[in-house]
Amino acid sequence: MTNTELAGRNPLKVFATTGDGIRVDRRMGLVISRAGLGKTALLVQIALDSIINGRQVLHVSINQPLDKVRVWYDDILKDVVGSDAAAIMEQVNRNRLIMTFNEAGFTRPKLEERLNDLVYQNIFRPAVVVVDGFIFDESCRDLVSDLRELAGAMDLNIWFTAVSHREDERKSAVGVPAPCHEVDDLFDTVLLIEPDGDGSELSLNAIKDSTNSVVPGKVMKLDPATYLVKS
Amino acid sequence: MSEDLTKVRNIGISAHIDSGKTTLTERILYYTNRIHSIHEVRGKDGVGAKMDSMELEKERGITIASAATYTEWKDHQINIIDTPGHVDFTIEVERALRVLDGAVLILCSVGGVQSQSITVNRQMTRYKVPRIVFINKCDRTGANPMRVTEQVRDKLRLNAVLMQIPIGLEAELEGVVDLVTMKAIYFDGENGDDLREEEIPENLRDEAEARREELLDAASMFSDELMEAALEGTATQELIIEAVRRGTLSLGMAPVFVGSAYKNKGVQPMLDAVNAYLPSPMDIENIALDLDNEEAEVKTSSDPDDPLVALAFKLEDGRYGQLTYVRTYQGIIRKGDSIINVRTGKKVKVGRLVRMHSDEMEDIEASHSGDIVALFGVDCASGDTFCFDKINYSMSSMHVPEPVISLAINPVDSKAQGNMSKALNRFTKEDPTFKTYVDDETGDTIISGMGELHLDVYVERMKREYAAEVEVGAPQVSYRETITQRADFDYTHKKQTGGSGQYGRVAGYMEPMEEGDYEFVDEIVGGSIPREFISSCDKGFRKAMVKGTLAEAPIAGVKVVINDGASHSVDSSDVAFQQAAVGAFRQGYAKAQPVIMEPIMKVSVEGPSEFQGSIMGSLNQRRGIILGTTEENEYTVVDAEVPLSEMFGYSTDLRSLTQGKAEFTMEFAAYRPVPKNVAEEVIKARQKKDK
Repeated sequence: MTNTELAGRNPLKVFATTGDGIRVDRRMGLVISRAGLGKTALLVQIALDSIINGRQVLHVSINQPLDKVRVWYDDILKDVVGSDAAAIMEQVNRNRLIMTFNEAGFTRPKLEERLNDLVYQNIFRPAVVVVDGFIFDESCRDLVSDLRELAGAMDLNIWFTAVSHREDERKSAVGVPAPCHEVDDLFDTVLLIEPDGDGSELSLNAIKDSTNSVVPGKVMKLDPATYLVKS
Repeated sequence: MSEDLTKVRNIGISAHIDSGKTTLTERILYYTNRIHSIHEVRGKDGVGAKMDSMELEKERGITIASAATYTEWKDHQINIIDTPGHVDFTIEVERALRVLDGAVLILCSVGGVQSQSITVNRQMTRYKVPRIVFINKCDRTGANPMRVTEQVRDKLRLNAVLMQIPIGLEAELEGVVDLVTMKAIYFDGENGDDLREEEIPENLRDEAEARREELLDAASMFSDELMEAALEGTATQELIIEAVRRGTLSLGMAPVFVGSAYKNKGVQPMLDAVNAYLPSPMDIENIALDLDNEEAEVKTSSDPDDPLVALAFKLEDGRYGQLTYVRTYQGIIRKGDSIINVRTGKKVKVGRLVRMHSDEMEDIEASHSGDIVALFGVDCASGDTFCFDKINYSMSSMHVPEPVISLAINPVDSKAQGNMSKALNRFTKEDPTFKTYVDDETGDTIISGMGELHLDVYVERMKREYAAEVEVGAPQVSYRETITQRADFDYTHKKQTGGSGQYGRVAGYMEPMEEGDYEFVDEIVGGSIPREFISSCDKGFRKAMVKGTLAEAPIAGVKVVINDGASHSVDSSDVAFQQAAVGAFRQGYAKAQPVIMEPIMKVSVEGPSEFQGSIMGSLNQRRGIILGTTEENEYTVVDAEVPLSEMFGYSTDLRSLTQGKAEFTMEFAAYRPVPKNVAEEVIKARQKKDK
């Protein structure tokens, strides 16, 4: 399977991270849902979509070991491309770098230093950074704001995941649930994963986008078994 | 040995280099009365620790070859295999894990879980070995067993549960608090022989209570009875021990013990834990393959009346002659028995049967199921299975990695020549990852193995143990060749040189295959190649694959299909079809876009985070692909895949880049195509050599 075929098949192209739509060079993106609905799987799909479209991805994992992150990619790649996964894995390995930090160790200066190490030595030049496991709490605004500035300075798409809670009903004006309701202004694109009425499917709603890259009001379906985006 | 198998423990002691496992083993032998004094690994008394029986090991302070030893502790019989800590010798670790039922994973309380510990742990998981953890060196400055326990959870992904907490740390280490008995244990006397039980010191009482709660929570997951008792506040020691044992045996839990072998603290309770929590041979299911029944899997039994099944897992050729270490899986071996080597079909007589105590031995009359003993003067290779003639079982094969590096060696004189042959003969029998052959073109003897240090140690051993002085060439990477696309072939071999000629035509195609080195498929219909010459074609293809046309490296990953051909009633022969197949292969190979492949190593570098940029840069310069980094408490591990050819001399460069503060391990990952510029260099080098 060629990259073009793969990219064409990927329903994520609707978010126009790359490909036919508008290529967004700088963006703060957020995937939010309750626990266990497939945030990491979606983040990995965003990363894979970027890689097959020729962009390098830095995957930052907070509090999760490196092997566990790699297993996510292996599994999703197998689900998406089946027996061709091994051939594409080589390309994924070359264009994906995983960094794991503990919670306290993840700061803008640390990430910037690591990015500079990679870029200045011509080791790796990520266009997309996906951050999984970041804790959004009352004190996170400064750090998220710093990272937004970094995305601007280094022309990065930075995607985060966040966990919402059923019992916390707070929402921002545009519908971004807690705990991100007070930092939603720092994100250009926010995707919300919600179970459908009977729980047999999951919906993926683009509830906010200021990059003009997402089809307004677009709702997609996720397969609850694989968490893959259905076309 | 007792016939009560529930009181037998076959354990390995496995860990990162320098975490103190040889010292710990030495203490175990001392407390179990197998030795009567203590010597340090790099001790000033010049005697050395008991388990380091090879001179070289004594000098380097590392353990290279496993030494098996037998001991007894509180009515239990324990066979201990001391395993090496360096990744180049992992075949030794893998062999040990194959025959052991349980293991003690030693970690340094300062260094914590390092990359080699991760490799060893992965190997233990592969062989489903239940394990307990001993956090050693709690007397050292910077000791932090709680952090190490966390690392065991995070990095090794084991459900680590503290069974003890230390009383004091670093120079203040006094003893341990046992969280099952809720007593403080102190180790009195010059060598810590006398255990004194006291109440828990007041300053540790709250912590001990909290940790015991954690222990009860974790152990309750394996026992409903304990869960109920814990809720009612009536958990007994027996219930806790039984639950922890269940958890450990199911690989759901790793009990953690603390201490300092060097300071003689915590070793005896760890031995109690071996008895209490590690499996007996009865707890482990071992599978043999029935060779008379299409290799059907058969569970071995512990019934002494069942026919013998035993595995030779290690050979040693020491001052007593050839020793073969065997693990008995079923039945009994008795002195004087005739047993059959299943691989060769030869009958061998068991002359002497001994139980090893490092490099000393004790004669025994019989070895029962579950036992580890040594046989004298039995001709076999490592990995052979022995049976009585009633059955034809083979123990499942051991995972043996292919060698990735080679070295030319030349004896300096004729005396060295003879000695070198003897040494090589022994080493290749002992170690399946160590191979040797003579290069037809240069006449050099080539040795190949799993890494620079692996070969280096064998060269040293040749000198020391066999007085074989050899000149050593530069290390060479073992390249492979493969094809990248399908190609047809149609080749006729025709030769007329007087007398009967040679004729054979072979046609078909070849294509790349993902797994395996070679597959031959016969799709001939209508007898265009007579049946008797089909195997000749197979032989010819195999012959052609020995040496590729690019780097003269072995060819792998090729499926060959023959579907047409022709023969001559007089001139066709086995030789003619072999030649035709060689020609056909070369014809197809040239069209199949062949490439050179090189061994790629999985490299893990660990060092202070301040050097992360330099470490990544150094790997990148070596054509490495950085897979990821793990940062924790000012320490970073960088994982990468790097071609082996670029790793020569890396330890020196890494030392100078990081002021000696970083270390690395590597193991073979896969063969992958070399980049075009490197392929050109390899081809050029080969052409130069040919001239």
